[in-house]
Amino acid sequence: MLATSITILVSPFGSQAKDHVDVQFWDMIWGGPEYIDAGKALVAQFNEEHPDITVTYRSVPWTNWYQTFLTAIGSGTAPDISTGAGYQAVQLYDQDAILPIDDVISQLKTDGKLDDFLPKTVDVLKYKDHYVALPWAIDIRVWYYRKDLLEQAHVQPPSSWQELKAAAQVLTNSKADQYGLVACGDTLGSHWLFTLMLNNGGGLFTKDGKPDLGSERNLEALRFLSDLVKSQFVYPASAGYHDEDELSAFSQGKAAITIHAPGLSGRLPKIGEKIGVLKPLTGPHGEQGTIAWVNNIMLYKQGKHPVETKEFLKWWSEHEKELWTKGHVTQLPVRKSFAADPYFQGNAETKFILENYIPVGKSTATHDTEIFPKLNDVEGEGVMQTLMQNILQGKDVDASVKSASERLNSILED
Amino acid sequence: MLVERIQRQNDASVDLGTVRSPSIRWFPYLLLLPSLGMICLIELYPFISGVSYSFHKGTLLGRGAFVGLQNYERLFSSPDFYHSLWFSFIFALFNVVFSYLIGLALALFLNLDFPGRGICRVFLLLPWIVPAVVSIVSWKWLIADSGGLVNILLSDFHLGPIYFLSQGNWAIVAVIVIKIWRSFPFMMLSLLAALQVIDKSLYEAGRIDGANSWNLFWHITMPHLKNISIIQAILMVIWSINDFETPYLLTQGGPSNATENMILLSYRYTFGRNDVGRGSAVALITLAFLTVLATIMMRQQRQRA
Repeated sequence: MLATSITILVSPFGSQAKDHVDVQFWDMIWGGPEYIDAGKALVAQFNEEHPDITVTYRSVPWTNWYQTFLTAIGSGTAPDISTGAGYQAVQLYDQDAILPIDDVISQLKTDGKLDDFLPKTVDVLKYKDHYVALPWAIDIRVWYYRKDLLEQAHVQPPSSWQELKAAAQVLTNSKADQYGLVACGDTLGSHWLFTLMLNNGGGLFTKDGKPDLGSERNLEALRFLSDLVKSQFVYPASAGYHDEDELSAFSQGKAAITIHAPGLSGRLPKIGEKIGVLKPLTGPHGEQGTIAWVNNIMLYKQGKHPVETKEFLKWWSEHEKELWTKGHVTQLPVRKSFAADPYFQGNAETKFILENYIPVGKSTATHDTEIFPKLNDVEGEGVMQTLMQNILQGKDVDASVKSASERLNSILED
Repeated sequence: MLVERIQRQNDASVDLGTVRSPSIRWFPYLLLLPSLGMICLIELYPFISGVSYSFHKGTLLGRGAFVGLQNYERLFSSPDFYHSLWFSFIFALFNVVFSYLIGLALALFLNLDFPGRGICRVFLLLPWIVPAVVSIVSWKWLIADSGGLVNILLSDFHLGPIYFLSQGNWAIVAVIVIKIWRSFPFMMLSLLAALQVIDKSLYEAGRIDGANSWNLFWHITMPHLKNISIIQAILMVIWSINDFETPYLLTQGGPSNATENMILLSYRYTFGRNDVGRGSAVALITLAFLTVLATIMMRQQRQRA
């Protein structure tokens, strides 16, 4: 009897049963079915290489994602680790749900691995003196144009606001239901405003985090857009359009220029070869800029195995290139070593965006230096969407900005 | 005779039960307890919880600190609230009036005896039968773009295109019209059912007395439809004010919040802004508004009866 017990205790199975840990990994759905397959394959590889740890992969849909996480945290069933959108880590950190990863960052720094991350991508996730997540991908907004339509109209791809307006004028033929630009009134529409304001050296906040929508640079950017609308160079249905409507009008050739997330030629394969990327536009003061977000991968305080989860975090961050090469994520990698891979360098669109747009990408918190949870409420409450819809309907910019500023102040004061 | 005998037997059995065991009186109430418990759980608890949330600065994660009437005060000083109240009102008003008028006209038409009446009924019920997502998305394709059928027709007559979902006033018209289109079959069906039970001899008597068609309609048909009409109006007001899917699927409350009703405002505060307190306050004001409205209408119905 004693001998049997000793045998069980010292046997490899006995040891495994004692030390084995389970880690729950919730991954947002960042791409098509192939993305989920790539994620599962990576997790399987990790599990094979780490017999003492079993990571369970769960795909989390974007619908009601915030409620999904809040419910899990509220009921004590949060995952050990998850990916999430730009503000998720800071939002949940304020709910006391996130485990800071200062030690992971320090170790990466000591090992010389921190330099592999693109500039600012790690520090943007520092909140209240703690690193609350590791960056894993960048989302950014880019100016796209229809090469065929510009060639037909003998228009060179614009590289400044002045050229954009001139090009839009030539490209607009309302009788033929063709316009220079097409926008939309949903979240993507609000990205138009951010892109133009940041392009012009503006930003939604001051350096000390106070709302600054009514600044001169912002107003100048918004008036520029309003001028394009009032000149009837923007597709007239844009205010009621959603992301997919904007793409539909662009793909049908109803408009020649638009703003969208990277990977548009892949999303519209029928006209993929006709789509080009404009250089980041130069504003009237000689500045460039666009809106960008750094997506997070973060640990939860409720996790029972922080050591093993951090091990998985580091492994995932170093091996996740297959999420692009096999999973075909359209967002951009944060690691320089990934960006140098032929997968990215061989794709003219991605290479161009990595080289030209990433260096001028700015956060929604600009000019504040760090992101904060209220940014999610600003996006969720739709202040900027309403402002965009007002401008697209030709309403007065100053009055619309005044109303939006009041709503912005109200959100931040809550 | 048979009815009287059964009645006597029932009375006897009740008396017998009362004499043999007085405690049996509680038995029916005991049987009701599970249902009452379930009703309390699924209706009373969420209601009390909602009332409580409206007095707290809550988020989706927790109830938060008690703030008294602050959520209500901030609502009453918000232009968004008054706009959503106004939109909810006109949305309900136009929907009730026009869906009733269209439903009544079609019910009178379908009450006539003509070949193909059955097919007509099925065809006219389609807007009510088709799932909301399908019908509203189809409407969106019809009206949103210059390539939509409605705009092609308008352009043929040099009246368009009109981008119905991209201008505030047109979006309000579009949302209301589509709601009426989705609502009239219910009105039509209920009124048709009421029309079919009106005694035909009343019309014959009226005609003998020299009444014309209008007199027959006004003095015989309408009084018989009064009760069902009031109930329908109450239901339609409640359904209109509580309607989430029509404005959300069509415009998401835009453009520029033009088509945002109270329910969408509550949704925006709760899920967009993570402000459960104010979202609950909007929902409770909506409930109070509907309760007052329904009480007034019920009272009027009772007085007229």
